[in-house]
Amino acid sequence: MPRPLILAAAAILSVAPAGIAQEKVKIAVIGPMAFAQGENAWAGAEMARDDINKAGGISVGGKKRMIELVRIDSNEIQSVPDATNAMERAITREKADFVIGGFRSEAVLAMQEVAMDNKKLFLGCGAADAKLGANVEKDYNRYKYWFRIAPLNSPGLGRTLFAVLGAIAGQIRADLKKETPKVAILAEKVIWTEAIVKAAQANLPKMKMEVVGTWQPSPTATDVTAELAAIDRAGADMVFTVLSGPVGIVVGRQMGERKTRAVAFGINVEAQKEGFWQATAGKGNYVATLDTYAEVEMTPKMIPFVKAFKARFGKLPTYNAGTYDAVDLIKVAVEKAGTLDADKLVPILEQEKYVGTGAYLEFDKTHDPVWGIGKDTGIAVQWQNGKKVPFWPPDVKGMGKFGLPGES
Amino acid sequence: MFQDILVTGLVNGSAYALLAIGFSLVFGVARIVNIAHTAFYMLAAYALYALLIGGGVGPLLSGLLAVGSVTLFSLICYRLVIEPVRQHEAAVLIATIALALIFQETVLRIYGGNYLGIPSVIDGSVSLLGIAVPWQRLVILLIAAGMLAAIWVLLYRTRLGLAIRATANDLEVANLMGMDVNRVAMLTVAISVGLASIAGVAVAPVFVVDPFMWLAPLVTVLSIVVLGGLGSIQGSVIGALVIGYVEAITVFALPQGAFLKGAVALSMMVIVLLVRPEGLFGVAFEEER
Amino acid sequence: MLPSRTLALAWVAAVLLLPVALPDPYVLRVAAMTCIFAAFAASWDLLAGYAGQVNFGHALFFGAGAYSSALLTLRLGFPPWVAVATGALISSAAGLTVGYLCLRLRGSYLSLATLAFPLILIGVLFAFPDFSGGELGVSGLTPLASSRIGNYYIAALAMLALVFGTWAFADSRFGLILHAIRDDELAARASGIDTVRYKLIVFGISAAAAGITGALYAYFMRGAGPSTLETALSFQVVIWGVFGGLATIYGPVTAVFVLYPLTEWLGSFSAFGELRLLIFAVIVLLVLLFMPRGLTPWVRDRIETRCPRCKQQNSAWRQGCRVCGVALRAAGTHESAHPHL
Repeated sequence: MPRPLILAAAAILSVAPAGIAQEKVKIAVIGPMAFAQGENAWAGAEMARDDINKAGGISVGGKKRMIELVRIDSNEIQSVPDATNAMERAITREKADFVIGGFRSEAVLAMQEVAMDNKKLFLGCGAADAKLGANVEKDYNRYKYWFRIAPLNSPGLGRTLFAVLGAIAGQIRADLKKETPKVAILAEKVIWTEAIVKAAQANLPKMKMEVVGTWQPSPTATDVTAELAAIDRAGADMVFTVLSGPVGIVVGRQMGERKTRAVAFGINVEAQKEGFWQATAGKGNYVATLDTYAEVEMTPKMIPFVKAFKARFGKLPTYNAGTYDAVDLIKVAVEKAGTLDADKLVPILEQEKYVGTGAYLEFDKTHDPVWGIGKDTGIAVQWQNGKKVPFWPPDVKGMGKFGLPGES
Repeated sequence: MFQDILVTGLVNGSAYALLAIGFSLVFGVARIVNIAHTAFYMLAAYALYALLIGGGVGPLLSGLLAVGSVTLFSLICYRLVIEPVRQHEAAVLIATIALALIFQETVLRIYGGNYLGIPSVIDGSVSLLGIAVPWQRLVILLIAAGMLAAIWVLLYRTRLGLAIRATANDLEVANLMGMDVNRVAMLTVAISVGLASIAGVAVAPVFVVDPFMWLAPLVTVLSIVVLGGLGSIQGSVIGALVIGYVEAITVFALPQGAFLKGAVALSMMVIVLLVRPEGLFGVAFEEER
Repeated sequence: MLPSRTLALAWVAAVLLLPVALPDPYVLRVAAMTCIFAAFAASWDLLAGYAGQVNFGHALFFGAGAYSSALLTLRLGFPPWVAVATGALISSAAGLTVGYLCLRLRGSYLSLATLAFPLILIGVLFAFPDFSGGELGVSGLTPLASSRIGNYYIAALAMLALVFGTWAFADSRFGLILHAIRDDELAARASGIDTVRYKLIVFGISAAAAGITGALYAYFMRGAGPSTLETALSFQVVIWGVFGGLATIYGPVTAVFVLYPLTEWLGSFSAFGELRLLIFAVIVLLVLLFMPRGLTPWVRDRIETRCPRCKQQNSAWRQGCRVCGVALRAAGTHESAHPHL
């Protein structure tokens, strides 16, 4: 090729990419990618990215930029230092502007430190531990870049639980003609359940329910026959579960196998997953738990989101897919602030009243979502013959009915 | 409560016994601490899942195929990975850890980290001493008892068993006596993994199946064989029952301390070792020169 | 100069000059972790390789150091370096306890018994969640230095001090006695060595060193949780130790410097990052098949030869021993005819 032509070609090529390659908004999705929690986080973020980019992207101070997602495997379930390394890599190597995700509380606490060191906005979509928010209050200037999108923090979850417990108790009173339903508390012996267990022991009697005992297996227990035998003997009508580990599956299955008279409700994270029915070999009927997503109209966005998620990924989203809201919230805040500067975005997020797919989001002074009926409560679902049927809050469009074992 | 403890301890103890005697056998004969022992148990559970649920094969056939395939696979592993480094004890140890990790990660890739459930072969329960014991758990107990009897017959009534016991007793002399110690070691590995696979197939329908299900039983099995005495079959059985009952007692007597059952079992082991450093029935090995 | 010494010097230089060449915070984080784990592995080798007490629960000392220094600072307001030192002492006490409990145990019994201790400690910590933070652990520590480079140098210098200290210790008469205990405890006792005293001392020192690394880890990560006591960590250090080469000190250190950044690098690929543990295990397995005594003995055999008369190490390409002058290769015979002891 003749020399002038080469120079001209080089000149054109050096200019053209600058025109084609716009600046992107880089959002890192961090989580245990080999597990359902990470997969859901990535899936939710992908959907948000596609929806927003299709509509033109994020307008940063007048210029439109596309979202680029970076997939970061934190491996947090198996190794906490791996998770901090991954967070550091996301921020300093991949130069992410924002980080969303997280799951294992011990790891998220450590990852939060790395993000705060670098003054990057870290939006949590998996860990419920109150300490993450408490840090914001304790040392605002350092931790202000942390916001929790999902789930509610532990005290918030507690309030939803008692609201639903009251509703179920009412149904037991009506259907079984029992004035004071007997409740057995079955909670994992771990830190995050402590507050809920204490609150239950204090509040249930005030709600005219009798606490017949508290059993605390390990989260990885493979056998709860001891606990269930004792619960049966105590004549419980309801088992209040506070479980996040695989013991939730064992409880569901063994209660079904024993044809326990009591109904299980509470937090049962394994029961939120689609695979729960199969994991209990079809025995987990009547198991009820708090959940986040279903085809119900908690917000105008929830039903279309759940339908689209199901169509694209073949399964219902878990609360980790709240990354959809995280990404969209970033867009809203950035467009209002006109910049990606985290310091300017923090006050905007603090004031924001956001309509998400999972809930109406507002943040309190610990940067946790504010609890409120009609705002952010989560929903309650019950497994009925292989399907998750949402039943609370009862007055929302799409809700089904709660069933007691023994009733057909 | 007493009946609960009696029955639960027996059922869980027998499942542990199945795992423990295989582990003890391999150590006694081949001096291999097989960290991957419970990983084979995990593979058998997944093989059962794949055949039963994935392939729609009948329960009995799935069980037999699962046990057979995993046992065969273990022999391949032994040949390829363990035999070449037999002389270096430390290397063998690491090799078994590495194998276990490979199994775990491979299963994680194929099936994901989610928990899987295998339906019980027989539904319903039977009443034993006033306690409702699900049939499936009783099946575990019966299988364990049956295998223990079979192993006893094998070890004490057959020539192969004689060879195994001789090799376990004194490797060098057995070799001098003309026994093919390598073949005996391989057969022992096969029997050991066979027992672990049977445990996996029997127990999988009762527990949850996930790629990490080999870790907790490993610690329990280790504490059992150490408590009972490495290389001693009866020690493993007694140890399994002891640990099974200690765990059951912890769970029933301290409902709020149920999560401690692992720590209690391990403390039990430490206490026994303080009193008898070779375990209850173990033989103090002469240091091999 | 001997090839192995050249390599060692080059490595020390690389460790010290890394922040100058690559001031990237991510690289320095991984490097600091590597240094901490390398010192941890070195402490294990002293106990397992030299003294033959193959400890399957070494994470106990790591976690004890991490938790105690964190709790001392957060709950009792200890200044950081005092907390680290006290953490090491507490860890040392744990070492003495374990050593005492395991005095009469041999071989596999010892290994499997030591597996239990970290798990028992986890159970105890979970039983007192208000004190220990339960499954979350304790957090909120301020790192020892205010900059990433500062923290890296703390980890690197501590590692160099611990590794060379351990190595000097192992290379001394004390180490010789440990060897004797490992090879034949009965004979050692018969020779008049107080094996109990030596075993307890080595447990104490190994635990103290491991405790220091645990404390440094806690300060670097700003907290300590039950992950510092995990069985996976105990297994990991055994793998590093054997992969690198037992009873060398530099073996496990090399293993950590090779394997830890490698697995981290593998994990950074979004395509197959989730396979990192699988690839790690396969690498370990393959290397073991070809180098059953470990990586560094194999490398050392390639670059150095031992003189048949005076037993001193020489570069492999020398003709005559540098100390006694004897021909290193007998005319006509292959050098592998000399068994390396």
